Amino acid sequence: MELEAFRKSVDDWLDDAAHELDPAFAGRGTLEQRMAQIAKVRRLAFDAGWARWGWPEAIGGLGGSTLLRAYLSEAVTIRDLVEPGLYSMPEVLGPSVIAFGRPELSSQMLPPLLRGDEVWCQGFSEPGTGSNLASLTCKALRSHDGWRVTGQKVWTSLSQYANRCVLLTRSGPVDSAHRGITALFVDMDSPGITVRPIETMDGEQEFSEVFFDDVSVPFERTLGEEGKGWDFAMDVLPYERSTALWQRAALLVRRLGDLVAASEPGALDPTELGEVTQLVYAFRARSRATQHRMAMGGELGPETSIDKVLLAASEQALFDLVEETLSEQVTVGDDPDSDRWRGEFIYSRAATIYGGTAEIQRNIIARRMLGLGADR
Amino acid sequence: MIEGEERELFDRSLERATADHTGAALDAVLRELGWREALAHDLRAAVALLFARQGAANATSGALDQVLTNALGDTAVANAVVLPPIGRCCPPGSLVDSRLRVRGIGTASIQPSGTALVVARSGHSDLAFVVETGSLPRHAIDGVDPTLGLTRIEGEVAGATEIGAVDWRAAVAIGQLALGHELVGASRRMLELACEHSLERVQFDRPIAKFQAIRHRLADTLVAIEAADALLEAAWLDGVAQSAAMAKATAARSARAAARHCQQVLAGTGFTTEHPLHRYIRRILVLEQFLGSTRTLTTELGNDILEHGQLPSLLPL
Repeated sequence: MELEAFRKSVDDWLDDAAHELDPAFAGRGTLEQRMAQIAKVRRLAFDAGWARWGWPEAIGGLGGSTLLRAYLSEAVTIRDLVEPGLYSMPEVLGPSVIAFGRPELSSQMLPPLLRGDEVWCQGFSEPGTGSNLASLTCKALRSHDGWRVTGQKVWTSLSQYANRCVLLTRSGPVDSAHRGITALFVDMDSPGITVRPIETMDGEQEFSEVFFDDVSVPFERTLGEEGKGWDFAMDVLPYERSTALWQRAALLVRRLGDLVAASEPGALDPTELGEVTQLVYAFRARSRATQHRMAMGGELGPETSIDKVLLAASEQALFDLVEETLSEQVTVGDDPDSDRWRGEFIYSRAATIYGGTAEIQRNIIARRMLGLGADR
Repeated sequence: MIEGEERELFDRSLERATADHTGAALDAVLRELGWREALAHDLRAAVALLFARQGAANATSGALDQVLTNALGDTAVANAVVLPPIGRCCPPGSLVDSRLRVRGIGTASIQPSGTALVVARSGHSDLAFVVETGSLPRHAIDGVDPTLGLTRIEGEVAGATEIGAVDWRAAVAIGQLALGHELVGASRRMLELACEHSLERVQFDRPIAKFQAIRHRLADTLVAIEAADALLEAAWLDGVAQSAAMAKATAARSARAAARHCQQVLAGTGFTTEHPLHRYIRRILVLEQFLGSTRTLTTELGNDILEHGQLPSLLPL
């Protein structure tokens, strides 16, 4: 299907199914409510076929350009049906699991993910492993009937809801750095896994600590080759910094429009509003170009760090303007709209931290795009 | 359309032309290369390729005037256009008791003898006039970038011939895109100069490129440049005047960021006239003021949004 026709069909469907799709809560809603809403939108969109376009047929998709699924994610965000941060997870993990996992694994696991029946989480960061991902220590030992995993992950989003975990482990010697990493696809109901949610500043339990105590993982759940988990991670990270962000651009545009509508006459400074608009539109233009590059078969690499830096800058600038303009709502408002502005303002502070900090993105740009060499 | 190998060859010719020539000599080479024909044939390619190269080489030419006369629909009668006053994007002319007054800036394309276009606001429409350049009240300007050969034009113009209504805003939009590409070209060159320096300059026994404070400034410069380039592309694709204004404002803001970061990395060297950086900084200071400064365009954008309660149009995926 062509993008133009898809756009029209999806828009028509979203109009027709609006009563079913609309959230049952006002404002931001609780995390539980938002997760249930996302599952519902996924199921309806999958059953109607729209959520299958842009994904390969081998995993239950209907084929076609990746722009199709990018459009769907934009459309459900512009209509305020889902929260991008939670909704975009299949965009981050799906393509790499398809590329590195065994065909039987992805054909079995992707359909329930895309239909919203299952949730995945991404077990990369550890207490001692943030920006320096190659230092991870969560251990995977070979046994006669599979891997035995012991260690700890942290900042693992949605892990208390997750059915599966895409996990990076240390299968080589302690000092093997990026050479001794193996990626595994782990069932979250495996014996030995404990999830301890952490409350964030915006009052949510969006991420957790995850403990692995001698957890058994079959060999056929290895993603890519043993010891080649770094390649898998390097495949995932550019998606986290690019395709998933297109939907975030849609959210920023929507909330910028909402800000204009919610502001009292004279409350918004025109020059500040103009500058934030330029920033948001520049980020969106960059992200749009990235979606097209990927659809044309281009590989995603270090240049996606530019998309991530632009997202963080424009999101924080937008919500700084929100905080200045709707100060009363953000600081002391108790209604659902105020609660949402406040939650989003606080969440925007994390934009320079999650998905690779502002600092590591700049290091990547300096080393791999400007040719400035290693920093040590 | 100029595509594939043809585009690459054309771009390489423009790179050589702008590296080896500037001013009237560059205009002559551009005529030989058929750049003006390319402008009629593939506006985007002709504008984007030449202005990026011109910016990178710190060259000057009459190309901006040609882009504007072309966009105003009359390339035969004049090859120069009076630009709005510094920082502004309104037409430079006005009609007072049916007499044409002008307040604006002339580029080096305005020769002592020849013709130029002056656009004047008249009610709700914009009228174009052809004037003899000799009759323009002109004063030479040195200013921050004397190599541009600018003149200040202010006063009444005798003997102007009206040639009809024109779409000034549309012409300004194409001019803004041209300037946007020139600013991006200049910014990319400044970044190259600063990166080269950071790899050569050794302090504390290592190239300063090893220091994160330096690396992050240079990375931020690239991010700013790519943001501007993305908006330029979007503006070409959607053809909306407001998008061109956003792209130009962003390109100029990015160029100022590039200048700030690169001058800091080049430090003392970049503050002297012995290093080429100062020429780029001079140039972008002036280009920022042509066809609307960042401040003017940004405030105008904010006012438009507030007045209509509506964000700028969104380029569809």
